[in-house]
Amino acid sequence: MTMNPPVETEALFAGDRASAILATARAMVEDLHLGAVQRWKAANPGGMAIGYMPVYAPRPLFEAIGCLPVSILGGGDQIDIIRGDSYYQSYICHIPRSTIEMGLGGHLNCLDGMVFPSLCDVIRNLGGMWKMLFPERWSSYLDLPQNFALHLGGKFYASELTRIAKELEARGAKPLTAENLRIALKNENRRREAIAVLDDLRRREPWRLPASDAYLLVRAGGMLPAVEHAEMLEEFASAVMQRQARPFDNVRVVLVGSFCEQPPFDLIRTLEKAGCDIIEDDLMLGLRYIEHALDAESADPLETLAHGFIKFGAATASRYIGEEEKGAALIARVKATQADGVVFAAASFCDPALLDQPMLEAALDRAKIPFTAFKFAENTGQFQVIREQAGAFSDSVKLWF
Amino acid sequence: MIAPVAKKHLTAGIDAGSSSVKVAITRSEAGDHPEILATAVQRIRRRNIVEVVQSTFAAACAEAGVKTEDFDYIASTGDGEMVEMRTGHFYSMTAHARGALVLEPAARAVLDVGALHARAIKIDARGKVLGHRMTGQCASGSGQFLENISRYLGVPLEDIGPMSLEAEKPEQVSSICAVLAETDVINMVSRGISTPDILKGIHLSIAGRLERLLRAIGADEVVLLTGGLAHDAGLVAALREVLVQGKKNVQLEARSHEEGILAGAIGAALLGAWRVDQLVKKGRLELLGARAAA
Repeated sequence: MTMNPPVETEALFAGDRASAILATARAMVEDLHLGAVQRWKAANPGGMAIGYMPVYAPRPLFEAIGCLPVSILGGGDQIDIIRGDSYYQSYICHIPRSTIEMGLGGHLNCLDGMVFPSLCDVIRNLGGMWKMLFPERWSSYLDLPQNFALHLGGKFYASELTRIAKELEARGAKPLTAENLRIALKNENRRREAIAVLDDLRRREPWRLPASDAYLLVRAGGMLPAVEHAEMLEEFASAVMQRQARPFDNVRVVLVGSFCEQPPFDLIRTLEKAGCDIIEDDLMLGLRYIEHALDAESADPLETLAHGFIKFGAATASRYIGEEEKGAALIARVKATQADGVVFAAASFCDPALLDQPMLEAALDRAKIPFTAFKFAENTGQFQVIREQAGAFSDSVKLWF
Repeated sequence: MIAPVAKKHLTAGIDAGSSSVKVAITRSEAGDHPEILATAVQRIRRRNIVEVVQSTFAAACAEAGVKTEDFDYIASTGDGEMVEMRTGHFYSMTAHARGALVLEPAARAVLDVGALHARAIKIDARGKVLGHRMTGQCASGSGQFLENISRYLGVPLEDIGPMSLEAEKPEQVSSICAVLAETDVINMVSRGISTPDILKGIHLSIAGRLERLLRAIGADEVVLLTGGLAHDAGLVAALREVLVQGKKNVQLEARSHEEGILAGAIGAALLGAWRVDQLVKKGRLELLGARAAA
C-alpha cells in the first residue's frame, strides 16, 4: 500500500503524541511481512498466529487458546500480482490474488494457520487452494451460520468453535477453558469500547479525527491482541483531544461496501479531499461485527460467543437476512450519525456487496437519502474519476438537497 | 434556490490550481446580486503553493480593504487542502459553473481549460451542473501543453494568442497525444513552418478536442471559456472557427470574458455565500466564521 502522506493531517498535527501513534499504526499496516505478528511470536514462545480472511472471525476464541488472530486483508497496492493471477479467472475480485501472492511469496510465513470464514464462493475456493498449496499448515473453512435461530444456528456455530479449538489444541494451542474465554471476551469488550469511542469522536468532530486516521488505527489492531489494541486506541483518543482543530463545512457520508477487500488508502483520502467527512463505514468490519458487548461473566462463555454472532451480528452483505432489514439498518445508521448521504464503494466483482447494493439503493431512494456509487480494486492507482464523482456528489448534497 | 436571507455576505473564493492561484472577494445576498470587491491572480512558479495561496489572498484582502476575520465564508476550490483558512470546499466544476453565470449570464455551457485538464460542463440557468465531460490522461488539451510549446518556440506565453491570430496557413498537428504533438512541432520548426502557423495549428487541435467535449455533453447554446486559457485569443478564435465548421443543427456560440480565469474563484465565493445562508438556517453556526455566526 503506497500511502501518500495525508498532507492536511500531518501538517496540522505533526509532532504531537497522537501523530506518533498514528505513525506506528501506519507502519504496521504497511508492513506486509507482518512484523507486529513476528514480534508477538518472539515475545510469546510457542504461541500460534492464526490468520483469517474477512469479514468476521471469532477473535476471542483464538485469544482464549493462546493464539493471536491476524486479520489478513490482501496486499493492497504494495505487491505485484504475478502468480496470484494464474489461480483465478479475470472476473473476480482482487483480494484472493494478492493473498495467494503473499502466501507464495513468503509474506505470511509467520502464520501457523489460516481461517476462511464463509463470505462468498471466492473466499471458499481460496480456502481449498490454501489447503493444497500449504498442506503442512493448518487451515480451516469456518462455516458461519445463516440460520439465526439460537437452538439451530447458535448450536451449530458453538460446535464449529469447539471443533476449531480442538484442532488447534492438537497442534499445540492451549485447551479451551471457560475462564480463559471469559477473559478474552472481557478484553474484546474493552477493544470494542475503545473503537466505539473513536467512532463517536469522528462523528462529532471529523475535523479532529478524519476517517483516514481512524482507519489506520483500527486496521493496525487486526494484528494485535485485544488489550494491546485497546491501549493504543485509548491513548490515541486521549492524545487527539489535545489537537487544535477547527471544523470544515464538509458533507457527512456513510461509506458502504468495503467490508472485505479494502480500498487503497489514497481512495479514502480522495473522498476526504473531495469534501466528504466519512463519519461511518464498514471498513474493517470484522472488529465491529458484533454490535454489542458480550457477557464476560457468562456461565457458558462459548455459548455467549456463538449467540453473540447470532443476535448481535451486523446487517452486512455476508449475512443472509431479509433485504428490508438491511435497507432499514442502513437508513438507521444514516439517521443515527446525522449523515447527509451514502457513498457505495465496493470492490470490483464483489458479489456480496454488488448484489446487495440495488436493494440498499432502493431503500435510500424511498427514504430520499442521496447516494453515489463507484467500484475500486485494492491496487487502484488513479483516483481522478472517483474524485470527480465524489466532488460532484459532495457539492450536489451541499447545494441542492 | 430558496429565497435568500436579506443580508450581504462577505465571502472569498480561492481557486488553488496547478499553475496559478486565483482569489475573488465578493459581497452578495446568499450568492445573488454579487458585487466583486477584489480579485488577485498569482502564478505558482515552483513556489510553495500554501504560501502562494496566502500571498494571493492577502493581496486581494488588501485591495478590498478587509481582514480574514471579516469573512462569512472562505471557500476553496481546486486543491482545497492548500487553503488552510477555508471554511469549506467546492468542486472546481461546480465553482466554474456558478462563476461562469456571473461573467456571462447567457452561458448554458462552460469550457474550463486549465493547466492539466479541459472540461466541458452543461449548466442550467441557476448554474446547476447537468452533465460534464473532461479530457482523459493526455495533456494535449491543456494549458501545460501550451506552456511547453511556448518554451520550445521561444515565444512568451502572453504572445501566443495574438501571434496565432496572424497565421495564414495553419499546420495540422496531432490532436491525440501531447508527446506526438510536441514531436510534430519540432518537425514543423525544422521544415521552416512559421511560428504563427504552428501556433494556430495547435490552437485548432485543442479546439477540436474541446468541440468534441461540447458535443458529448449536448451543449447547444452559449458556451463560456473559463480557466487559465480563457485569455488566449488564439484559442477563442480557433474554437469559434471549429464550431462554425462543425455546426450542423446546433447553435453553439463560444464567448470569452477578460476575467474568465477567475470564474472558479468567483463561483466558489458565491457558493460560499449561499452556503452561509443554508448553515444559518440549519443552525450549524459552528462551521462559520465569527461574523456570520453573529
